[in-house]
Amino acid sequence: MSAEGTGSVARLLAWLEERAGWSFLVDLGKHKKVPLHRHTIWYYLGGMTLFLFIIQVCTGILLLLYYRASAGEAFESVQFIVSRVPFGWLIRSIHSWSANLLVFVLFIHMFSVFFLKAYRRPREITWITGTLLLFLMMGFGFSGYLLPWNKLAFFATQVGTEVAGALPVVGSFALRFLRGGDQVTGGTLTRFYGIHVAVLPALTTAIMGLHLLMVQKHGMSEPPAIEAEQKAKGQAGRSMSFLPDFLLRDLIGWCAALGALAALAAIFPWELGEKADPFAPAPAGIRPEWYFCWMFQTLKVLPPHVLGIEGELWGILGISAGALIWLLVPFLDRVPAPGNRLTRFFSVFGWVALAYMAVMTVWVYLPGGR
Amino acid sequence: MGEQPTRRGFLNWFLGTSLGAMAASVLYPLARYVSPPDVPEAQTDRVVAGKEGDLKPNDGKIFRFGSQPGLLVRTAEGEYMAYSAACTHLNCTVQYRGDLKQIWCACHNGFYDLQGTNVGGPPPRPLEKFKVNVANGEIVVSRT
Amino acid sequence: MRKLILALILILPVAGAVFGGEAPTQPAGPLPRETACFKCHSEMDGEVAEPTKHADDDIHFLKGLSCHDCHGGNPAAPEGDMDAAHDVKKGWGKPDRVKIPEFCARCHADASFMKKFDPGARVDQYSEYRTSVHGQKNARGDEGAAVCVDCHGVHGIRAVGDSRSSVYPTNVAETCARCHADAAKMKPYGIPANQYSDYQKSVHYRAVTEKGDISAPTCNDCHGSHGAVPPGVENVASVCGSCHSREASLFRETEAKKKLNLSACIRCVVCHTNHAVLPPRDEMLGVGKESTCTGCHAPGTPGYAAAAKMAESVERLRERIGEASGLLDSAERKGMEVSEDRFALQKAQDNLVESRVLAPHSFDLERFLTAANAGIAAAEAGAAAGHRAFAELRFRRLGLSLSLVVIVAVIIGLALKVREMERRSRE
Repeated sequence: MSAEGTGSVARLLAWLEERAGWSFLVDLGKHKKVPLHRHTIWYYLGGMTLFLFIIQVCTGILLLLYYRASAGEAFESVQFIVSRVPFGWLIRSIHSWSANLLVFVLFIHMFSVFFLKAYRRPREITWITGTLLLFLMMGFGFSGYLLPWNKLAFFATQVGTEVAGALPVVGSFALRFLRGGDQVTGGTLTRFYGIHVAVLPALTTAIMGLHLLMVQKHGMSEPPAIEAEQKAKGQAGRSMSFLPDFLLRDLIGWCAALGALAALAAIFPWELGEKADPFAPAPAGIRPEWYFCWMFQTLKVLPPHVLGIEGELWGILGISAGALIWLLVPFLDRVPAPGNRLTRFFSVFGWVALAYMAVMTVWVYLPGGR
Repeated sequence: MGEQPTRRGFLNWFLGTSLGAMAASVLYPLARYVSPPDVPEAQTDRVVAGKEGDLKPNDGKIFRFGSQPGLLVRTAEGEYMAYSAACTHLNCTVQYRGDLKQIWCACHNGFYDLQGTNVGGPPPRPLEKFKVNVANGEIVVSRT
Repeated sequence: MRKLILALILILPVAGAVFGGEAPTQPAGPLPRETACFKCHSEMDGEVAEPTKHADDDIHFLKGLSCHDCHGGNPAAPEGDMDAAHDVKKGWGKPDRVKIPEFCARCHADASFMKKFDPGARVDQYSEYRTSVHGQKNARGDEGAAVCVDCHGVHGIRAVGDSRSSVYPTNVAETCARCHADAAKMKPYGIPANQYSDYQKSVHYRAVTEKGDISAPTCNDCHGSHGAVPPGVENVASVCGSCHSREASLFRETEAKKKLNLSACIRCVVCHTNHAVLPPRDEMLGVGKESTCTGCHAPGTPGYAAAAKMAESVERLRERIGEASGLLDSAERKGMEVSEDRFALQKAQDNLVESRVLAPHSFDLERFLTAANAGIAAAEAGAAAGHRAFAELRFRRLGLSLSLVVIVAVIIGLALKVREMERRSRE
């Protein structure tokens, strides 16, 4: 961007340059190149995910100025925020909608990276940190969902922690660790709050820092197909510089996301629900948030016993095995290339996984689908 | 060629102004959000039932406590007492009777003494009593 | 020796007093289950064994009294010797049905005797009974009139406070209905037999049986238990008024202020009936088909006009409350927080209850209008709150539209900038 020529701004920038040497960042940005090809659009998704995460951090910090993490006050404090705090309704609804949008965009980002084989050498660490970030974001979602302490959240947490309890060997410890006891109580709420605002943010800072560092170090990966095409044509391939071209386009996307969030918050405000009552029976139709639904439905459709082992255990082990393969895919598909059979297998694996998750998620929402 | 700089200048101005407007539309709600609202906290376990001087001695008034009605009584001696105003018989709202110095339920003639104990009529249980504190000219009623 | 004779002279009269006499002063002799009576009768079959089957429930037995304390005879008779046990000289016998009240009163009207078992026990049941219709007919030898055992049972008499007792509040109506719902039994007396079936339709019956609320009235609460007499028509208001004191005092105020004697209209009963007391409905007020006012107030009379006005006000208040409530519900569904406004609307609901009470019981149009209008004002405030919530919603949407305009402007600006930079880089 052209420097605004006025004297005071130029003097300020010069002052900063002498002390912080900020211009090296600008140079870095100008030298960073983003390849231009038919799959360039997917490059925007990482930044979009980051933007939505930053929105979460900001709205989350604002919410915790008024939120109280005890069973007796949590629901009332959220009610207070949406009714008595000016624009509290806006901050709260944006936080809830953005959480869902974040997970959605994250999945698209992850799958686009997967299908475009961006995990291959030398970007293995980027992939691993990325998968870990997926788990962390789902942890944010799970812990944050309980915080308004309403009926749906209470029972969804009960079901979710119950599933954790079904893990082999570590199950009972995991259940008690998550719940802060044997049942879901105010103790669980406080624990989840600590996890949501301190533990997970700390872990995310470290792992996302590493992820972004790796992205800067290795630059944008070009899909193997594109690389092969360019080699065949003997061309170098076009690119645009990050600063200002890519960033400006990024900003367009971010503004659109901000507008979408504002619209969702005003037109479809997030519900308060009814205050949780640990002694009331579970209402019909409890389910976790949509991004957990496919796992939830998997466990539901498995028969109680398969080959002498509990069906639920098969489900958990299956999902865990899937997650492990996903995490380690850079080491399994070592040299992704267009003709490679292994590459094609993993592509199919990815499509099957995506289709499976989509179908299982939709199934939960069908009438009588449970 | 002279058009270019003008168009660029306009564009820069347009972008700058709209970015500024967007920044304002983000910062305004934020600023309003962080400035303290009219009541500082959710009134669940504690509520300000009134100000000193609202009630004369030997008088009572209804206030809201969460989603239930409460009864604030100022005795003839000037002491403040507070109870749940939901009658334990069939949930009508009770009232203070200065002539009897008792709490009365008009629906079926139930009576409670100033301790909240049910002393006459159908009510089967005493009224829940709340704690009262007077601070800074305000009468604060709390559950425990 | 002289001392011994002196002792015997002193002791014997006392012993005589202790072991002789009509009413037993202390449970003397063998324990209830050890008496010859119990031991023999419990081993028999059929009717004669019945009394022993209820021993665990019977309050007399539990207090240490046994068969001979009422029936006489020799409790210490040798085993198998029926004649010795059934000793008429020791008072053995069964009282006639008509003589039962006197029989029970031997103990139950004796304060010093009852004190031994329950210091606070009442001892006026017999004298009350004699004032009752049952007691008066019984005094004239009528075998059909109820006596003590018809309500309390004879063997296996549970304490009144025992919820399984036939005279516990939840069971009283059924007990009375044993005779009073039997048309054949009531025919000789010219009493209808529909009271129980009417009562079963009432709110009082529902409160007692479904909600288990024993503060709600059953037969004895209005009619008395031992002194059972239908309240005279002039007394009905006092009977109903013993719980519904507000309505009763309103009636009395009206009578005093307007110098009326409303006993001609039998007060409560004319609108609410005596047994089938149904939940009151707004249709009972006013000049419509189901109105209870038009029975006395003919069209053209001031009473008729007042009734019409009252019904109209109540309906208006109800409508306003419904409107306000609907607005608040709708605003809440659209995401607005309205719990405080809903609480304030409760005041209008309280006013509605008050108006409904004032209209047909005080007959005072002005007083009624004060309450009704206060309610309408509160309901309108509630509706205003609902409108405010919608205004806030519109403000939010307006704010949103403006922000979206700004954001779209930024996006356009950025897009144009991008295009311009691309063009510049091409040159």
